[in-house]
Amino acid sequence: MQTGRAARIALYLYGALAIAFLYLPLVSVGFASISKARYLSFPIKRYTTQWYGKALESHTVNDLLWTSLTIAGIVTVVSMVVGFFGALAFARYHWRFRGVFQKLILLPIFFPQAVLGLALLMWFNFVGWIPDWKSAVVAHLVWISPIATLVIAIRAYSFDPALEEAARDLGASTWTILREVTGPLLMPGVVSAGLFAFLLSWGNFPLSLFTTGADSTLPEWLYAKMVSGYSPLVPTVGILSIATSLVLLIIAYGISRLLRSGRDRRQQADG
Amino acid sequence: MQPEPILRIEKLVKRFGQFTALHGVDLDIQEGEFLTIVGPSGSGKSTLIRLLVGIEEPTSGHISLRGKRIETLPANHRPTCMVFQSLALFPHRSVGENIEFPLKIRGDAVGPRRERALALMDLLHLPQDFYDKRINQCSGGERQRVALARALAFDPEILFFDEPLSALDFRLRKNLEKELKDLHARTGKTFVYITHSLEEAMLMSDRIAIMREGGFEQIAVADEIYAKPVSRFVAEFMGEVNLFDVESTGGGGLQGSGLEVQMAPDQLLPELRVPQGGHGALMVRPEAVRFLGPGEAADFALDGVMRAEYALGSRTQYKVEAGDGREIAVEKLREDRFAGRSGDPVRLGWDQGHCHMIVEE
Repeated sequence: MQTGRAARIALYLYGALAIAFLYLPLVSVGFASISKARYLSFPIKRYTTQWYGKALESHTVNDLLWTSLTIAGIVTVVSMVVGFFGALAFARYHWRFRGVFQKLILLPIFFPQAVLGLALLMWFNFVGWIPDWKSAVVAHLVWISPIATLVIAIRAYSFDPALEEAARDLGASTWTILREVTGPLLMPGVVSAGLFAFLLSWGNFPLSLFTTGADSTLPEWLYAKMVSGYSPLVPTVGILSIATSLVLLIIAYGISRLLRSGRDRRQQADG
Repeated sequence: MQPEPILRIEKLVKRFGQFTALHGVDLDIQEGEFLTIVGPSGSGKSTLIRLLVGIEEPTSGHISLRGKRIETLPANHRPTCMVFQSLALFPHRSVGENIEFPLKIRGDAVGPRRERALALMDLLHLPQDFYDKRINQCSGGERQRVALARALAFDPEILFFDEPLSALDFRLRKNLEKELKDLHARTGKTFVYITHSLEEAMLMSDRIAIMREGGFEQIAVADEIYAKPVSRFVAEFMGEVNLFDVESTGGGGLQGSGLEVQMAPDQLLPELRVPQGGHGALMVRPEAVRFLGPGEAADFALDGVMRAEYALGSRTQYKVEAGDGREIAVEKLREDRFAGRSGDPVRLGWDQGHCHMIVEE
């Protein structure tokens, strides 16, 4: 009995340490953003929220937020669409070059992002495209859409092909099958892929560094300010970045719940 | 004269690369019939049904429904429907929505759709409050009924079944077999059923088609297939059987496998005769073999030693070792069980009326 209790305490301690290891850095960024002092030191002598006010008033920060949001938003939507059809080709249908496709689609994930970013930058120069936030969208898509494809493919692998065959046997056309059977069944995977895509694009630094040109994203700005010109505005923008992604995730979750309940209501009304 | 079949299959071939799954099969299915296609794994029965519903395309050959060729029609344009082995119920839809699916695709209005679904649920003994139940909340038997109701909602000309009961437990399977047979009688629809279970086939079917290596070995009513199989394969596939390799010794004489019978030529039944010098397999089912008492006679008899006894519930099966070492199976009702014990000498006998001769080239 004593041994059991000791083991339980050790387990709780281990859990607490693991959580501290994961979240203390974030908490310290939070403290840095509300410290009056330029550099963080404990105990904090004077607290302030002035950096939040400055960040929200700053045109630069607003531009950064907007650029990052635009890139992540477009990457999310495109990744979901590309990933959906890519997953069908990857996992659901048997076709001649499926094996080659499966290998090629995985490759970009294994490239170091810095190398991928450099390659894309060279390619943009070669084709005469002056890098800006739009080229960053393409760069993010090269890396993120395969991941979205894989996430949806995991769902597609658990899909019983007989469901589509049964729908066809019951009179459904290819489009109807996609709308009534395949789409709804893969939707949880598509939503997960969308969330992944957003988070990976929102927080991406290496690809953005090489491919945004004169435009800048939040992670790039954070890095630049860490290198030179640090002020408590830097951790403040970092916290705002985390808060934004959290808010967007909550909104996405709410929308998916609304869509699901709306679909249920429609189906009940149809029924 | 046979009426025009509802479905005619002519020289149907299906190849997958180098492998030929169907070797030019022919079959006529009559309207309102319950036909069961039975065969071991890999015999081509599932391939055949997939061609018939239009999920696969044949390599060559024809399929005609009421005289119209349909082999190139895709599944969604055929007036047939299938209950899949996995049942293929849509997990994201409720019981009612699953049943209504074909009606929704057809563009039926909401009211009549629901009305039809509820009527079918009633027909299949599904409570009305199951309408909003999720599929994953239903038991195996309930899912089975939902799949059937969905297929009937389609109102197919022919309803195909691809081993839909194979995943169910014994008791439930037995109940559903009877329900399916009743449903067939009540709806009057043409049912084509695939199974590897002989019992299922015997219980439900008007006719049974035995498949082997991509072709039909025999197509006949259940009794005929059981009592008069055309080959050793069918005889053995249809259940426990005793086969004796024999040859004609002329007139009414047969000899081989420890048996020696000499009857007057007009005494031996014509269906048991083998051409002079020809070979055959004399078949007798275990339930037709008797234990002969002292002084008791039979058309065919042989001596042996009791080796084993197996209780099969209402029946008991015995294994008797004959003089040449072969095992003879005997089956008796529980109340007629053998009184002796293992190792006892026994004399077995059966009459020619219970025999069948499979003549071999």
